[in-house]
Amino acid sequence: MADFHTQIARRTFLRRTGAGLAALRTLLAKGTTGVVQPLHHAAKAKRVIFLYQAGGPSHLETFDPKPKLKEMHGKPMPESFTKGQQIAQLQGRPLVCFGPQFDFQRYGASGQQMTTLFPQMGSIADDVCIVRSMWTEQINHDPAHTVMNSGAIVTGRPSMGSWILYGLGAETEDLPGFVVLMSSGRGGQMQPIAARQWSAGILPSKFQGVKLNSVGDPVLYIRNPEGIGDAVQADSIRAINRLNKLQYDALEDPEIQTRIAQYEMAARMQTSVPGLMDVSKEPAKILDDYGAKPGDGSFASNCLLARRLAERGVRFIQLYHRDWDHHAGIAGNMPLKAEEVDRPTAALIRDLKERGMLDETLVVWGGEFGRTPMSQGGSGRDHHIKGFSYMMAGGGIKPGITYGATDELGYAAVENPVSVHDFHATMLHLLGIDHLRLTVKYQGLDARLTGISGEVVRGILA
Amino acid sequence: MALSRTLLAALCVLPAASAAISFNRDIRPIMADTCFRCHGPDKNSRMANLRLDLREEAVKPRRNGAAPIVPGDPGASLIVKRIFSENPALLMPPKAAHKDLSPAQRNTIRQWVQEGAVYEGHWAYQPVQRPPVPEAKWKDRVRNPIDAFVQARLAGTKLEPAPEADKRTLLRRVSLDLTGIPPTPAEIEAFENDTASDAYAKVVNRLMASDRYAEKQAMLWLDAVRYADTCGFHGDNAFPAWPFRDYVLRSIRDNLPFDQFTREQLAGDLLPDADDRTRTASAFNRLTRTSAEGGLQPKEYLAKYGADRVRTLSSVWLGSTMGCAECHDHKFDPFLARDFYSMKAFFADIRETGLVPDQGEKAWGDQLMLPDAVQKERWESIAANLAKTRQALSAKRVELGAAKAFEWEKALLERFRRGDLDWNVQRPVKATSRGGATLRIYNDEALLGVFDRGGSVISEAAPGNGMIVAEGMVPDRDAYIVDLRPGAGVWASLGLEVISDDRLPGARLARGSDRLVVSAVEAFSGNSKLRFSGARSNMTFWDAGLTPWGAIDDDPNTAWGAATYRTFRTAFLALDLADPLTTGADSVIRVVVRNDSKFRRAQPGRFRIALARDRAAQPVADREAKPTVAGMSPELVKAIETPAEDRTEAQWELTGDLVDSTHEALTPAWAALMRAEADRVVLREEIPRVVATVSVEPEPTRILARGNFLDESGDVVQPAIPAFLGKLETGGKRATRLDLANWLVDKNNPLTARAYANRTWRQLFGTGLSKVLEDLGSQGEWPTHPELLDWLAAEFMTPSWEPAGAHSWDMRHLVRTIVMSHAYRQSSSPSPAALQADPENRLLARQSRYRVEAEVVRDIALSVSGLLAEKFGGPSVKPYQPRGYLVALNFPRRDYSESWGEDLYRRGLYTFWQRTFLHPSIAAFDAPTREECTVNRTSSNTPLQSLVLLNDPIYVEAARVFGQNMVARGGKSPAERIAWGFRQAVGRTPTTEETGVLAELYRNNLDRYQTAPAEARKLVSAGEYPIAVNGEPADIAASITVARAILNLHETITRN
Repeated sequence: MADFHTQIARRTFLRRTGAGLAALRTLLAKGTTGVVQPLHHAAKAKRVIFLYQAGGPSHLETFDPKPKLKEMHGKPMPESFTKGQQIAQLQGRPLVCFGPQFDFQRYGASGQQMTTLFPQMGSIADDVCIVRSMWTEQINHDPAHTVMNSGAIVTGRPSMGSWILYGLGAETEDLPGFVVLMSSGRGGQMQPIAARQWSAGILPSKFQGVKLNSVGDPVLYIRNPEGIGDAVQADSIRAINRLNKLQYDALEDPEIQTRIAQYEMAARMQTSVPGLMDVSKEPAKILDDYGAKPGDGSFASNCLLARRLAERGVRFIQLYHRDWDHHAGIAGNMPLKAEEVDRPTAALIRDLKERGMLDETLVVWGGEFGRTPMSQGGSGRDHHIKGFSYMMAGGGIKPGITYGATDELGYAAVENPVSVHDFHATMLHLLGIDHLRLTVKYQGLDARLTGISGEVVRGILA
Repeated sequence: MALSRTLLAALCVLPAASAAISFNRDIRPIMADTCFRCHGPDKNSRMANLRLDLREEAVKPRRNGAAPIVPGDPGASLIVKRIFSENPALLMPPKAAHKDLSPAQRNTIRQWVQEGAVYEGHWAYQPVQRPPVPEAKWKDRVRNPIDAFVQARLAGTKLEPAPEADKRTLLRRVSLDLTGIPPTPAEIEAFENDTASDAYAKVVNRLMASDRYAEKQAMLWLDAVRYADTCGFHGDNAFPAWPFRDYVLRSIRDNLPFDQFTREQLAGDLLPDADDRTRTASAFNRLTRTSAEGGLQPKEYLAKYGADRVRTLSSVWLGSTMGCAECHDHKFDPFLARDFYSMKAFFADIRETGLVPDQGEKAWGDQLMLPDAVQKERWESIAANLAKTRQALSAKRVELGAAKAFEWEKALLERFRRGDLDWNVQRPVKATSRGGATLRIYNDEALLGVFDRGGSVISEAAPGNGMIVAEGMVPDRDAYIVDLRPGAGVWASLGLEVISDDRLPGARLARGSDRLVVSAVEAFSGNSKLRFSGARSNMTFWDAGLTPWGAIDDDPNTAWGAATYRTFRTAFLALDLADPLTTGADSVIRVVVRNDSKFRRAQPGRFRIALARDRAAQPVADREAKPTVAGMSPELVKAIETPAEDRTEAQWELTGDLVDSTHEALTPAWAALMRAEADRVVLREEIPRVVATVSVEPEPTRILARGNFLDESGDVVQPAIPAFLGKLETGGKRATRLDLANWLVDKNNPLTARAYANRTWRQLFGTGLSKVLEDLGSQGEWPTHPELLDWLAAEFMTPSWEPAGAHSWDMRHLVRTIVMSHAYRQSSSPSPAALQADPENRLLARQSRYRVEAEVVRDIALSVSGLLAEKFGGPSVKPYQPRGYLVALNFPRRDYSESWGEDLYRRGLYTFWQRTFLHPSIAAFDAPTREECTVNRTSSNTPLQSLVLLNDPIYVEAARVFGQNMVARGGKSPAERIAWGFRQAVGRTPTTEETGVLAELYRNNLDRYQTAPAEARKLVSAGEYPIAVNGEPADIAASITVARAILNLHETITRN
């Protein structure tokens, strides 16, 4: 793997120039470097916060108003829309239009339309870009998550966070460069999410996302074992590394140097992670803005953690918020979900902006697919892949605009459709990476996040 | 990009064997990377109608008369002009392709054209011919032909083979490579003292004859065939697969010829002498990931399962990437989309569904039951008993007659309407937990409940009405003791109502685990234990061996419970009292609800206890926790009300069950039948099972344009091997999986033996002779030692070196031949020159040094410490795992129940392989999830690995036991103990400096633990492994910290 080779090259270089362990340590102390050096072009964004709404939020009740669908409520869905299309749970059932369950409203000077359930997000409408023309290719949760995260249907490909960490490295040596947080709330069925969604796949596992848990140990095995106090732990790590260093002096195997560095980082993580997770010292106003209660593991708390992670130099921060799978009871459930996400999402974007970080942080809000304009069981919506909405902000995204459109019933993306690969290409572009050039050899091919397609969506760039 | 650059750098370092350009070695890698995408086999992406992969096309003049290649005349050759062009518009490859040629590459192409532009067929597709063994240059460093080939490559360089490694290092290396377990100090000593010339050969033979050898060698094969214990999609539930793993273990232990091994896995069901062993092997075809997600489109998933098989087959046997041909012709190799679907067609006879149910009676489709003799006999006797009791019940039904039954139903309905059948939910006076949980009783107090109602999660606060909620500590096993004061009455039945809550991790019913398990319910009145005569439950499907009888049969191994994720709000167990119970106004009844099962933490989270006056009260899933539970479900009431002629099938079933289970004339016969059925269900759970390949009339296989399953316009194809590799002769009959297997292991197949030998080399040197293990095609790597690879492939198929006792396709012989070579035995310490010239050790002037595989990291710690429990095969085990790790899973919602006793200390390969959440401790060390075939594990070095070795409870426990052994057996002084521990772990005596570091650690920690004895006690009792603690806790604790440091050393987990 390319990374392996660059490591070797670097190590050989270090040895040749007589630089030892100390030099390596200073080199690492500034963060980790990626393979894209220099950047392919000037970057707009330095990091990504992906507010991943898992389960498939309805675009028709969030960002994509469809008055015509309202008119058609209860009437058969015209066959011209659905013929020959993939259908999930509605297979073989009559397809009936299901009108939007909530009103839309124009927000801000830009007059962007969002659901009335999102007053807080509406209040930052001028800072965000709404993309109404997303589409994907997998109609069940598990494969659709895999496509959204890795760009591929076949499993084993690196997730986008891994690609970005591989390409850019991170600005932190105390924390993993790719962090995943998860929350769930009320108002929907909780779908499983596989660890493959943040896996490094064919890249070395050091590029995988590290899940921070809000309950139990924040990082697996981060806590000292029972009966091992901080001093014993620190002394033990020191002894381990002294012994490893003696081996290194004898053998000059660069893997031993890496091992030493990893024990040092593990020690730093043991100190830094609990501090990171402890939001109780945040000002009351901030906690209140986000609606976060320290330690509750909510989406709100995770949004606040996302900002703290961003401040500490983490490259890719992905928050999964679950239970958007509204096969039934969408009218009752959407307000519950909206209550969970509206305020923290807006608070995060506002907070980043106030700290001057929004310009360099790409914030993305969206899920693995959308939901059908047709009713399921008279109260819900089925999975839908032909058209759905994303919201983005900061990091070089043009604020205050709505991009692309679905047809009049909200079925298919018809104007400026944005594929998952297009979305990935755009994200990489903002980070200073040409998606065609961030590749790794696998099975004899140049594997890349965008597979064999993908175009930068110029229309949403600032 | 970065890779190709370094690859080239490496090629520059490696001087070519001769100055002449070889197409395969020098030109094909360049063209494959930079030209073939647009000028290769894929007609859809071909530009300018030009192919450079075929000579006759490349030398053909274009319309303007100029030819892309004019052999011998670079000046006249268009491609040379274009690659040297200074005009960006003409330059090839175009800038936009991001595939710039280096000056060296351009010159190489020019020289090749100059020399006549000689093409060669791609090396991997040429028949394997055993090359002549070259003359060895360093004759004292030759053990077998392998060394001659390695030396031939070194001859033109400044490097020379390293001397043989010292005996200690060599023994540790070969022990880890062959068995995954490091040698004991006694084994090292014996080897060091054995001066016989065949000392090493004896060691190799001993190691290869052990079960451990099979365990180690199986690991990577299991990666390749993507063996795992869960289905990998959506709910990721456990499916019956482990007997397949044991098949692999036994096959390797018995050294099954690889051709037979291949035939059995691909087509063990089709063999003329097929038996349970070969049918178990053919589970290989069913190890694909499967989905039970509602709303999936069956055709889409059938396409996924089929494509998985082609990818696996082509990676493992053909060392080729066919995956891309699912959507288009291969861009670089001659695989066509038609080939992909023709290969897929071989598997079209396998009976399967797109949605593979993961629960219920149809779960996992076809399965093979593998009872042992005792189980078989019991199965037959239970079957006889079932037939007998079924008949007896039928006779009783006939005796009763339909008319009387209807009358009885109507009368019962009247009693129900009067309230006689009500369950009186009890308001307990006291509830305690023997295991240490806190039980709280909610009567009129409001209690928050979160539950799923038709796909929506609702949270609601309502009075508990007798609800008992377990909180606080979650013991592994528990007994809830509940005292009731029912008031005056006469009672016929006792009800246990387990109430679901979305926040409960164990299938929403239990406090942990993935299921609810109630191994016993006991009731006492005063001092007398009440007897139960029958047990009924609202869950009519008894999965996972959980039956109502399990709660009252005095056997702790059987239980009632629920292991599925049907969305019932409550699980109700009705227990019939053998004798009516009369209570006075102040009588206290004690009810004990136990989980003594092997499922840790599977006891109920929320439950109520009820009493009924009438035995006819039915177990009902109540939606809300009301003070009384109606003794009949609305569906049953409706069924009874429906006149016989209008009843649906489902209604007949309801009323039939009611009469059988409740009518006095029938209950004894019914109870006997149900007991027999319970016996069957319990035994079924005990009998090993494996998913089976069942061959049926093949479904037509179509070429799916761009892989799109909705497009049914493509050609129907017949099973066939890739066209460029030939054609199967089947006498006009449709080719089968067996034909395919026979072709794969035909000695004329150019790929199979090469791919296998290359992987085996990787196992023993860290890198393949061709580095890209999964692709020997044109995008792969030209082997560093092509002749050696061919010699090994030939030797694998037809042994010639020390062939006594070896057979064709001998997997063990191949490994033995390699480990007997000098190349394998040489030192891994590079000379400065070697390190400089060949940092990656591709020329093999030394052995390699690398970290052991994930499972072996674990095995080393367990064996060194003395914790390892060695048992060959059997069901997968569950080592300790952080609580909450599975929180992202659902259907069912679950947590994890660790195994008990020795199953906590088994080798890593037996770990329960949860595909979507692989055990974090082995995942950290790069064990693949096996969602997809993996033939080339990555090997990384991360801080998470450090955290695992430092803090994962199993490594702490290993250090604990190791440290105790150091104290007990290592000697008196810290220095002696350190030396003893060091020898156990890395097989050598520590240097003075190393002893100093550890002695200092010991002293510092001894001081700490002497002032903090509570901490010392915690550490010396870490984990569940019982061991007598003799000695001073502080001394032992400090020694444990030394043991822990040793287990964490890079050297401990490295094979040198």
